[in-house]
Amino acid sequence: MNLHRPTPLSIWRRILTSLLTLLLVVLAGGFAAAAFVRYSPGFDVDENSWNPRISAATAEALQARKQPKTSLLVFYARYLRAALHGDFGKSESLQVPVAQLLHERAAISARLVFTGTIGGLLGGGLLAWLAVWPRQRILQAGSASISGFLLAIPPAVLALGFFFVQAPLALAVALTIMPRVFGTLRALLTDLRSSPDLLTARARGIGSRVIALRYVVGTAAPQLASLGGVALVLAFGAIIPIEALCDVPGLGQLAWKAALARDLPLLCAIALLITFLTAVVAAAGDLLSGSRERNLA
Amino acid sequence: MRAPRRVAGIILSVVCLAALLAPWIAPYSYDQQFRDSPAAAPGAQFPMGTDEIGRDRLSRLLYATRVSLALAPAAAAVSIVLGLSFSLLALRRARWTREALSGITTLSLSLPWIFLFVILRAELPLNTDPATSILLTFALMGIAGWAWAGRVFSASLRTLADADWLVQARASGMHSLRIASVHMWPHLRSIALAQFRALIPAYILGEASLGLLGLGVAEPLPSWGNLLKDLQHPDTIRANPWALGPLALLMLVMICLEALGSDTNNEVTV
Repeated sequence: MNLHRPTPLSIWRRILTSLLTLLLVVLAGGFAAAAFVRYSPGFDVDENSWNPRISAATAEALQARKQPKTSLLVFYARYLRAALHGDFGKSESLQVPVAQLLHERAAISARLVFTGTIGGLLGGGLLAWLAVWPRQRILQAGSASISGFLLAIPPAVLALGFFFVQAPLALAVALTIMPRVFGTLRALLTDLRSSPDLLTARARGIGSRVIALRYVVGTAAPQLASLGGVALVLAFGAIIPIEALCDVPGLGQLAWKAALARDLPLLCAIALLITFLTAVVAAAGDLLSGSRERNLA
Repeated sequence: MRAPRRVAGIILSVVCLAALLAPWIAPYSYDQQFRDSPAAAPGAQFPMGTDEIGRDRLSRLLYATRVSLALAPAAAAVSIVLGLSFSLLALRRARWTREALSGITTLSLSLPWIFLFVILRAELPLNTDPATSILLTFALMGIAGWAWAGRVFSASLRTLADADWLVQARASGMHSLRIASVHMWPHLRSIALAQFRALIPAYILGEASLGLLGLGVAEPLPSWGNLLKDLQHPDTIRANPWALGPLALLMLVMICLEALGSDTNNEVTV
């Protein structure tokens, strides 16, 4: 009998703690982005006021319009209240409602992120399998070399290369993630390969497909869930230079443009969205790996 | 696996030496303009040609190597010091302090790095002078990346805190500073070194991506990042393939760093 089996109460407490942490992280992420922008040098300066052809009164009026009317805390509280009702404000640089911008661009980035993440995990898994399973030195060296080579290329350069040859950019995201998950997957497969369960299964003559699904993927599911979360976070990071340089109208390009234009409402919304997505992915990975470990206990 | 590491070590030493001696071995200063020779082809006067505004590519590459190779380790050191400090702070504190620090770590890990860099770097005024832009770019990277090191240190410190020898050292009245320096640091040193080696390539790549986006080190000071901007113009590369020099050198250094740290890279690489 397992004396450390968790009670339903402790499971609920764990879920509630995760949700509370998630909420705090998202709120803090949005606030941090708002603070960075609000207190950045030049935030309260309207570049049009430097135009020598406008009158002093117009310049003053432009400056006055740019001056913050409330404190950061008040701004953020009002912003969150409006956001709860689906109103993320209006982009100062693009003069379009932020919700509309996010809605238009989210699907493009989501497609790039998910295709790239799945491709990266599958590619990394294939490389790791080649490095561990056949036990051939040439394959071990080859897979490590491919991973090392890909790791040495900045994601933005990879994207530019794919852009110029008109190859799918999701492949650039996949190739960015692939070498970054390779090391973990290789270590995981090395451990699994010599595990007693797997050796017994082999000795009993169980087919390789069942071994792969039940003993490899099944046993490593918690770690794979966590790794999937990390890969998604890496993909979110990779899409910013990829979209910005390759003129893909997604969230990454929007974040870059918003940062350059010091567009406070837009940056706040993107920061909230990206923090929320990455925190949800990380928490889901942790919870999945935790529940799987509990089931095994 | 010793031979590849030895070769990587030799190549890195040569590159570091060339970067260190840049003011003496570079044919020209990094910002010297030859207005009669813009986009010149490689030749006796300019071994790698010149860029669009007539600056010698070889000289700029040597100085850029100096900037990138000196400041990426400095940024990694900042991350290690911050990560270790936060982890030590959380070690024997009240539960709420630990929870707060854990939340801050989660927040830092939840935000994609490049997104943070883009926001932070874009906040700098447009007229920031080049030297300040270098220091700020790498300092921001160091600060933004502390959480990766912090999480590893926290896990190691939690394990160390329960060790019998530490309890015994405390019970015998040993001062905390002495415990930290004599007993704990030898255990943490190897972890710090592994983190340091893992963070350097991450910061080199981070600076390269920022440079390509135009948010890295400000002109006229060269860095690998802002030299890579030429890659956005395929015509420039077709006319002068030496424009790929910075990318080739960056990749060579990254591969060498990878080969040197090959015993520690089972973690997800940032």
